[in-house]
Amino acid sequence: MPNKSGNAYGMTLLCPIINGSKNHQSYADIIRDHLENLPLDSASPMAKVPNTYLCRFYVLNDVFYEGYPAKEEHLKSRYLVFSTNFHGEPDEYLQGMWSHALKEVREIWQYCVGFKAQGTADDFVAYMRKCQVDNALFFNGSTDDSLAEQLKSLYLKQEFSRFVYENEGASDEDLQNAFMEFVKRTDPENLNGPTWVPGHNE
Amino acid sequence: MDTILDLNDIQGNILKTYARKEYIFARYIFFSIRDGAKGRKFVSDITEYVTNAAPWGHEDNPKPDATTNIAFTYHGLKKLELPEESLHSFPEDFSMGMRERSSILGDTGISAPEHWDPVWNNGDKKVDIWVSVNGLNETAIEKRYELIMKLCEDSEGGVILLTGHRGDDGRDDLHYQDASALFKDGKATAKEHFGYDDGISNPYFKGCQSNPAFVLGGGKPTTGDPATLGGWKPLETGEFILGYRDEAQEYPEAAMPRLLSFNGTFMVYRKLHENVGSFNRYIKEKGQEMGEDGEELVAAKFSGRWRNGAPITTFPTYKEACQYVEDRAEAKEKFDKADGMISKNLAKLKYYKLLSKLVGFDYNKDLEGGRCPVGAHMRRTNPRGALQFGQKGAFDTPGALVNRRRLLRRGLPYGTSEEGTDKDDGNHGIIFMTVGANITRQFEFVQQQWINYGNDFKLANDKDPILGNHNTDEQGKSDGKMVFEAEKDSSNTPHFCSNIPRFVEMRGGGYFFLPSMTALRLIGAGIIDPT
Amino acid sequence: MSNIAGKVYAMNVITPIKWYRVWINRLIFWLAQTWVFRSKLNGLITLSLIHYARWAIVSPSQFPRLDESQPKETIKYTYMFFFSNFNGSWAQYVDSFHMSIPSGLNLFWHKNIKYPGSVPLQPFHSYITYNQIWTNHYYTAYPMAASNDVKAAQRIKADLLSFMSETKGLSAYDFREKYNGLIKARQNDISLMKCTPIVSLAAAEVEKRRARAAG
Repeated sequence: MPNKSGNAYGMTLLCPIINGSKNHQSYADIIRDHLENLPLDSASPMAKVPNTYLCRFYVLNDVFYEGYPAKEEHLKSRYLVFSTNFHGEPDEYLQGMWSHALKEVREIWQYCVGFKAQGTADDFVAYMRKCQVDNALFFNGSTDDSLAEQLKSLYLKQEFSRFVYENEGASDEDLQNAFMEFVKRTDPENLNGPTWVPGHNE
Repeated sequence: MDTILDLNDIQGNILKTYARKEYIFARYIFFSIRDGAKGRKFVSDITEYVTNAAPWGHEDNPKPDATTNIAFTYHGLKKLELPEESLHSFPEDFSMGMRERSSILGDTGISAPEHWDPVWNNGDKKVDIWVSVNGLNETAIEKRYELIMKLCEDSEGGVILLTGHRGDDGRDDLHYQDASALFKDGKATAKEHFGYDDGISNPYFKGCQSNPAFVLGGGKPTTGDPATLGGWKPLETGEFILGYRDEAQEYPEAAMPRLLSFNGTFMVYRKLHENVGSFNRYIKEKGQEMGEDGEELVAAKFSGRWRNGAPITTFPTYKEACQYVEDRAEAKEKFDKADGMISKNLAKLKYYKLLSKLVGFDYNKDLEGGRCPVGAHMRRTNPRGALQFGQKGAFDTPGALVNRRRLLRRGLPYGTSEEGTDKDDGNHGIIFMTVGANITRQFEFVQQQWINYGNDFKLANDKDPILGNHNTDEQGKSDGKMVFEAEKDSSNTPHFCSNIPRFVEMRGGGYFFLPSMTALRLIGAGIIDPT
Repeated sequence: MSNIAGKVYAMNVITPIKWYRVWINRLIFWLAQTWVFRSKLNGLITLSLIHYARWAIVSPSQFPRLDESQPKETIKYTYMFFFSNFNGSWAQYVDSFHMSIPSGLNLFWHKNIKYPGSVPLQPFHSYITYNQIWTNHYYTAYPMAASNDVKAAQRIKADLLSFMSETKGLSAYDFREKYNGLIKARQNDISLMKCTPIVSLAAAEVEKRRARAAG
């Protein structure tokens, strides 16, 4: 199934934008401006959406004319393109968007055809699925663990690497004691314990 | 297909390793152009003395006492009043210059441009022209230098000498940068200040005029055995000289008109100060934890070669490395002394076989880094086929990720240092120069992605131990780190080196264009026209 | 308009294909998932630069039309959308892709209109850049982690958890022995992650301005 690779899912959405304008700016341009000004990294609205690995937005103005002898043609609408890579099932993911980033979702999609800002989570899921296009190929060179699992792994790689360097040359007793401290501090088995925050960037 | 280069048209320092031809002294002189017409006259006048790549030893081309070569920064070409269209057709890395790109190169902290030698911080007197003199002895250098300075004087202020090079005893107002091989007991060595044999291997490309045997280790890797000639093929000329086919099967991007760039190339110049004291201290201290020959072992693990030049991936112990060097020296002696064609040829074969061990290897039997650490300097700057990570046939060719990142090196050490010194603040380092068709793709990529970063080696943010721009952490301790991996089938455990200080500091440099002889004449005459 | 988020770069490309050729492209991508073209993906896997990449082939009738008020699309070409998340910038790594998997690239862009082939480099680079769309918002849950770091992290966590259960109640001496085994097994994965190096002066400058504006 070319949308999935293990437990990772690649969802590609083309959301048609209403042909219209507001305050002398087309809806498509308003959306783009809005996207450009969204906060980044852990402050991004997508950091709130559970199990999001990587995702991006762009506004598709039109297709490109490749030059003669190709034909010139144009799209009749502009599209909000949303490409997201996440862990789990698509409907659940979309529900997660609605429940965790409702305000931001409404702001981003408010000028899209068929989007019901005052609808329900189910309405949103149905809407997004209508905008979905299937992938011909989805290549996963990374993880398909849950995001919580992956963030914990990254946290542990970082902390354990520090531990190894700090304890180079330690005596056997000191090493063992230091490791017990390390386990207490980092709580490796607990995904809800200390870990990296989604979008964490130094 | 044989590539025939017009050796009369290419500057000598591109194709010749002067240091290997006994030119073990060098002087680098920098000028600023104040007047376009006078600048062009200076270029025309000096062109007569510029050394090309035609072979020496013929009646009509005897070996000179000193060579001269010339290169220009973008600012220099602008001052020489090259047409706007030609100037804009140069790549962005060159037109911006090294200083503006220091954040890409990691020239931060003490290596940042504001700390460079004053010659690079002369306000509006920017470095426009680089002239190099390589000499058989110091007298030859002085003689050629005087000649060049006379041409400069003749320009009556149109071209001025830039001073401000740091030297011995804290001076920083010197008129030129001298460099030379390091001497031991009166004899020139191949060493640099950390004690390593340097300049062992350079890229081998079509038409390069080197001994064809040097394709071994110098060319691009094939799927054959790297210990044999079958394991290597020459690189395409266009990786190093403009106007020729390159590894991407096209001519490299080059400034217009074609005659301006044809047979020319780009040069990166960097004065790298070496903190010899810190280096000696570190390898001594860490060496104590490493067992027998620990100090040499640490030095070898950092570099990828023992300080005597033997590659650690082939000779994993100091004893083996020393034995190899001894065997090789013996074979050379036998070769030199051999009498008669048959014994000479046999001795030659034996010697060359041993010599080839210096460069005829890859890391396919050492992928985990148990012998040569994955993050060692040599392995970072020339991974050979290692970026295929043992996946035979994953890429179109084993060298796919390295063939376009090769560095043709032309530098020399500068200054003096006492063996075993614990001082950092003397005048000692390397004038690092590399020549290639594309600064971004070759030098900058290696510097940024392979020296100051580790992702291509799956080493996260670890840096090159020797060249990396290690910083200090909040406690004021240096934060350089490196793992010495253990061999899988051994009882050894990996070692983790912490607090590696910055061993090398950048003291100044730039990006230069090395034109062909034809282009020099055109520039001097002021007739470059891209219309 | 940044295509960069921490260590990862977002590449968006859209290219047209003649309607009667599309079935071949769909077939190629289907075969890429089977042994027939698996080797092409092996090259991508060995490069290990990519987090996720996808190709979506969208015919005119597949462009979503959600309401009568939305005009029907009258385009004739089918369009291939390409999305990739890889480490390093496009300018830096286009050489690596083009040198390591040229035939794979040719398969994935087979007969796209005006596609010049992946070799030589300059026309290929120009074609992709010409058809590239800049990202308006890019998010990664781990800006400090390259794809290699993600995979190394998984290995470390797995081994660490086993190590913890295997060493309960051991003497210090025995603990040390097990520990040595652990760090040796994971020796290629033990390294610290930090911010990305500056791969683009323009991007670095924009980031600085944003930070200043945010106060």
